[in-house]
Amino acid sequence: MYRLFFTPEWFNGFDLVFETIGLIIALMIAFYSYKIFRFSKENKFVYFSLAFVLVALGLGFKMFTSSVLYFFPLRESVAIVLKPVMGGGLTLADLFYRAAFFMQMSVMLSAWLLIFFISQKSRERLKKYHEISQIALFIYLILLISIVANFRYFIFYLTSAVILGMTVLNYYKNYLNSKRNKNSFRVMLSFLFILFSNIIFIFVSFYDKLYIVGEVIMLIGFLLLLSTYRRITKK
Amino acid sequence: MTGSRRSRLELVFDILLAIQNKGGRIKPTHLMYKSNLSHKLLNQYMEELLEKEMVQIEKIEHRKRKTPSKMVLITDKGLGFLAEFRRMREFTDAFGL
Repeated sequence: MYRLFFTPEWFNGFDLVFETIGLIIALMIAFYSYKIFRFSKENKFVYFSLAFVLVALGLGFKMFTSSVLYFFPLRESVAIVLKPVMGGGLTLADLFYRAAFFMQMSVMLSAWLLIFFISQKSRERLKKYHEISQIALFIYLILLISIVANFRYFIFYLTSAVILGMTVLNYYKNYLNSKRNKNSFRVMLSFLFILFSNIIFIFVSFYDKLYIVGEVIMLIGFLLLLSTYRRITKK
Repeated sequence: MTGSRRSRLELVFDILLAIQNKGGRIKPTHLMYKSNLSHKLLNQYMEELLEKEMVQIEKIEHRKRKTPSKMVLITDKGLGFLAEFRRMREFTDAFGL
């Protein structure tokens, strides 16, 4: 079967567990942000909530692509279900893999970009209608990158790393502006870990064990986000 | 208090905080000064807070005065709002929102 990159076989399944944890954490943050939106009626909270829902969706699609690769029965049952529509000759596993990877990339890039926008300290951001044109342009670029990355996967991780790098810089500024608040520092650190994991994923094709390192670092990033969230909501 | 314009929620928070800082009960005039609001604006917010049962008014009768004086009291719901608002502000500060 066609694969964009290879991963160590013994690790198959562990990454699904890691991503499930990340998905739950992202949904928890999205839910809390939506709760603040219902309280304050300020748009930025609903956008922030949407960004983390997109992170969760992206992780969900990644789990799907991995499942298509790892679990033969899943691949087969999907193929059987779609056989009357698609015909028997088509290599459905490839199709699902590419489609889900495309969805993962477009959703994840949108999420990182939205978080970056929100972390920018512009007072008028996402309020004026003329920004819709900018958002449309960014959506177009994200879709374009996602299509290209279906043939060169590292473009996706490279783009993610660039956006996350700028987001980390914004969170560093926020940390300095918030009188070195410990929670701001933890948020910055979590995104720094997620950034490192994306940088590592760029080089997976050179050395497949880097995938494990990347997954573990990403998990640390999400767990740090969880610990920050717990510290805030437990007060 | 910062130099920038306070949001509706921040105003509600400042009113409730002023009552809490005075041991849970405060005279309306003191509340006006402590929360840095005009009489008109304070009345508007007080109506909303009374409706949402975050505060209540206690009337105190005096032998020498015809009209009773008023005291504003914070309720458990109001105290709950203060705690929740602090958590939300911590969240928004942490994520730079």
